[in-house]
Amino acid sequence: MKFKKLCALSVAGAMILSALAGCGSSPSSDTNSTASQDSSAASDQKTAIVTMMVSGTEQPNDFETQILPKLVKEKYPNLHLEVTKLPDEQYYTALKTRLASGECPDMILVQPKYAGSNSVLGLAKAGYLAPLDDLSVLEKVGKAGTDPFTYEGKVYGVPEGVAILGTYYNKDIFKKCGITAEPKNWTEFLDVCKKLKAAGVQPIVMGDKDSYVMQFGLYQIAANQIYPKNKQFDDQLTTGKTKFTDKDTWDKVLSMYKTLYDNGYIEKNSLGLSAQQAIQKFVDGEAAMTFDGSFNATALNAKGAKDFERGYFPMPGNDVDQPIYGAVAMGAGPAIYANSKHIAECKQILEYWLDGESDLWKAFADSGRVVVAYGYGSDQTNPLFKPFVDLYAQNRSFYWCNQGWPAGTENEMEAQFGSMIGGQGTKVADITKAMQAKFDELTAG
Amino acid sequence: MRKEGIKSGKVILYFLLIVFCALTISPLLIVLSSSLRVPENMQSPLILFNQFSLQSYIEAFQKMNFPTEFLNSLVTTTGSIILVVLLATMAAYPISRIKSRLSKGLYYFFIAGLIIPAQMVIVPIAQTFGNMNIPNTRFTPMIMFITCSLPFSTFLYAGFMKSVPVEIEESAYLDGANLWMRFSKIVFPLLKPATISVVITQAMWIWNDYFFPMVFVSKSAQYSLPIGMIQFMGDRENPAQWNILFASCILCALPMIIAFAVLQKQFINGIAAGAVKG
Amino acid sequence: MEMQKLRRRRLKGSPIFPKKMYAFVIPAFILFLTFWIFPVFQLFYYSFTNFNGINYHFDFIGFKNYFTLFHQGTLINSIKNTLIYTVLIVVGSNVLGLAVAMALNMKLKGKTFFRTCTFLPALFSAIVVGFIWSYVYMPDKGMIASLLELIGMDGSRFNVLGDFTWALYAIAAVEIWKSFGTTMIIYLAGLQTVDESLLEAGKIDGCTEWQLIRKIKLPLISSTITINVVLSVIAGLKAFDYAFIMTNGGPGKATNTLMYTIYKIAFNEQMMGKASAFSVVSFIVIILITISMLIFMNKREVEL
Repeated sequence: MKFKKLCALSVAGAMILSALAGCGSSPSSDTNSTASQDSSAASDQKTAIVTMMVSGTEQPNDFETQILPKLVKEKYPNLHLEVTKLPDEQYYTALKTRLASGECPDMILVQPKYAGSNSVLGLAKAGYLAPLDDLSVLEKVGKAGTDPFTYEGKVYGVPEGVAILGTYYNKDIFKKCGITAEPKNWTEFLDVCKKLKAAGVQPIVMGDKDSYVMQFGLYQIAANQIYPKNKQFDDQLTTGKTKFTDKDTWDKVLSMYKTLYDNGYIEKNSLGLSAQQAIQKFVDGEAAMTFDGSFNATALNAKGAKDFERGYFPMPGNDVDQPIYGAVAMGAGPAIYANSKHIAECKQILEYWLDGESDLWKAFADSGRVVVAYGYGSDQTNPLFKPFVDLYAQNRSFYWCNQGWPAGTENEMEAQFGSMIGGQGTKVADITKAMQAKFDELTAG
Repeated sequence: MRKEGIKSGKVILYFLLIVFCALTISPLLIVLSSSLRVPENMQSPLILFNQFSLQSYIEAFQKMNFPTEFLNSLVTTTGSIILVVLLATMAAYPISRIKSRLSKGLYYFFIAGLIIPAQMVIVPIAQTFGNMNIPNTRFTPMIMFITCSLPFSTFLYAGFMKSVPVEIEESAYLDGANLWMRFSKIVFPLLKPATISVVITQAMWIWNDYFFPMVFVSKSAQYSLPIGMIQFMGDRENPAQWNILFASCILCALPMIIAFAVLQKQFINGIAAGAVKG
Repeated sequence: MEMQKLRRRRLKGSPIFPKKMYAFVIPAFILFLTFWIFPVFQLFYYSFTNFNGINYHFDFIGFKNYFTLFHQGTLINSIKNTLIYTVLIVVGSNVLGLAVAMALNMKLKGKTFFRTCTFLPALFSAIVVGFIWSYVYMPDKGMIASLLELIGMDGSRFNVLGDFTWALYAIAAVEIWKSFGTTMIIYLAGLQTVDESLLEAGKIDGCTEWQLIRKIKLPLISSTITINVVLSVIAGLKAFDYAFIMTNGGPGKATNTLMYTIYKIAFNEQMMGKASAFSVVSFIVIILITISMLIFMNKREVEL
């Protein structure tokens, strides 16, 4: 008797299933099938469904998932763009498995050079990306923009803009402690920290439990200590001409950053704080500074327990007699899947989106998500970012180190650095050695 | 004397249970209190219940497209569970009844499946789907839901089937019942407690799982609730919209909480009424 | 004993349970083979290559991945962390789950309420659980730190997730909190099968509550105990979620579990080949542990 019930239930279930299958597929695939029937008569009527997958978080009035499909539809009524947005780690997994099952979306987000699991060089080398050299917008993007997306002479992705690493600070606290000017070199920076600490203020808060935030400080120092002396440092790692263990390179960067922990300038419990909690402490006015990126500007400017004015300066990792450099990098950008059936349509979308003047571009620039490098919006950047954009324009900035390393090197650096500041007896020399070992292992495979 | 002892024992027990429940639930208060804030309120989640607004819920409801995603979740979860119960009881039947090397081998074969986490094999699994030309639809994740639930369920059923006496089947056999009838009419109903465990535990992970839908569903109209939820989750470059995420999490868990509260009472008390005493 | 053996022997070739019963296994078997076992074998194959997870033009490199594994210290560290974690999970969630199940199995008012309460954590997704617990554990102002301040202790020194020794215990506690509800449900199902009349008889013979539990209830639910212990052992050995969500394997490498390390190698460092070799080694370790435990538990079950 019980079993009959179960059978009845499963039959009912199956019926619901098939009913849903029928109605669920109707809106999209119906237009598709009618379109393909009509296509013999009038092929230009055909509606193409273009899929796109990006990483990030849904924001109110989200650009990629809401504005982009809407504006594309307005301009090209027969183009239907479906955008999926997933958090970073989920995005990497989804991308990898979609490539394996052959269900990859037509457009995907790729990162410059070697950065991350969706690095443009890794994907282009495997033959998953379609070359974009015939896009006319590339001229506007310029060589600085396309270089990090070039593999064997062909361009495979277009950066959406630039991204900045810097030091957010609480102007009110600075004023209260009698600090009038932003520090211009490392000595001055340490001096500022000292003054803050003496006044009983926590100078810097970092959420080192999410160890990736260590990059935010370290890369700014590296932009001042490594690349100005040798622009080719990362490229030469591959040939063996340079090594992480070379004297006065990474050992210096790491020990400089370590000073901030040794003196208690960075919150002592940082290893137990999440990135989110660190941001919270900063907006609540409990610490004077935090190292973070332009991409987190909204969160860092959110209203916390205290109202105060924010400032943003490049962390001066330079020695007293040296000029300052910023850590400004090309951001991620769209690329086209090589086996897509809609390459022409995708290119159409990219031409429209990234031309620097269209409505879509304006909506994109106004979304404030990235710092656009050309066209509409490039002249009216957020005043917070001004010092960085100036450095970038003067060619006094360098990319983020992990873009030049095979993914995984930075994780080793973070883990080892965490051991050092956590008092596990790790020394600076151990870190550089471990980084070099990881680098060798990753490039050998 | 003795009666009083029992009474005070009960009071202590109640006290312990209440304290224990309070401790267990307290972290969840963070979720509830944050979900009742407006999305822009980014104060520390540790300040509890300082604002009451349904705006985060409304936003989560709309952005997730709740009715559609709820239906998708419901269909895939129910469908998978029914099939899992059917397939697993069937598989456990000979495994626990026949004493031979083959059945022992099959037993370990299924258990071996328990130890393999899906994240590790997902790339070859996706390749298999690609090779077999299985398209991405809302039902595709069901294949993996069922496959992943099989080891646990078979293991549980095989364990419980040991407690079903062989004698009942012997008499049914003498009455002329065939295998399928014995399985469906005698053994299966006696496995009710195990079935409840299977339904509850498996429905829970399937309902909450975003991994397989993320990999095997392409169109947003076919998403299930957890996928809708992780869209609000942040990453290093985009902090999450925590209040909306919490609201969506509660929206996502609510159907399960209700189902659990209602069903367990009927189910578990139902068995206590004596279904097992056969 | 002797009787049972006789019966078993009689049943073995008997027409009651004929060989054709195996047909019942076929649907589950096929599904399982195609979508689980076959991909696992694929993984074995990858462990001999330098596949990076993306580029399918990879080379066969023999046992090189295995050699690197055994040369580096990560394997030992991960196994150690995983074993500690597993012991914590097994003891924690079984003791808690069984105790709560026994309490709830009594004739109490508000049983449904208590049951739902203790089960609630299991209904929330790991992502959200990880997030709220990072606030429970937060240094200075977190829930526990505040409670410590309240009872007059120094809460500012409380920093478990940033501590190399305690981080692993802290994330294990979260897993116990989330999973003991499930364990409890299975114990409840087991306790339901305990015949009331046996307990009545025990009570008449003057057994104390503890004796009833020790001598009647526990032996009668021994198969349920086996199931739960095995399941928590496996859950412990597969530990991944909270090392991933709450600590990123840190501080340093203090919470690198086997599965987290494999994930990191496969998806961050993009060495699918090496990760596969790591998986194969862990599979073997886990299978050995699980099977020897099953044999041990089954033996005990018979003895009890």
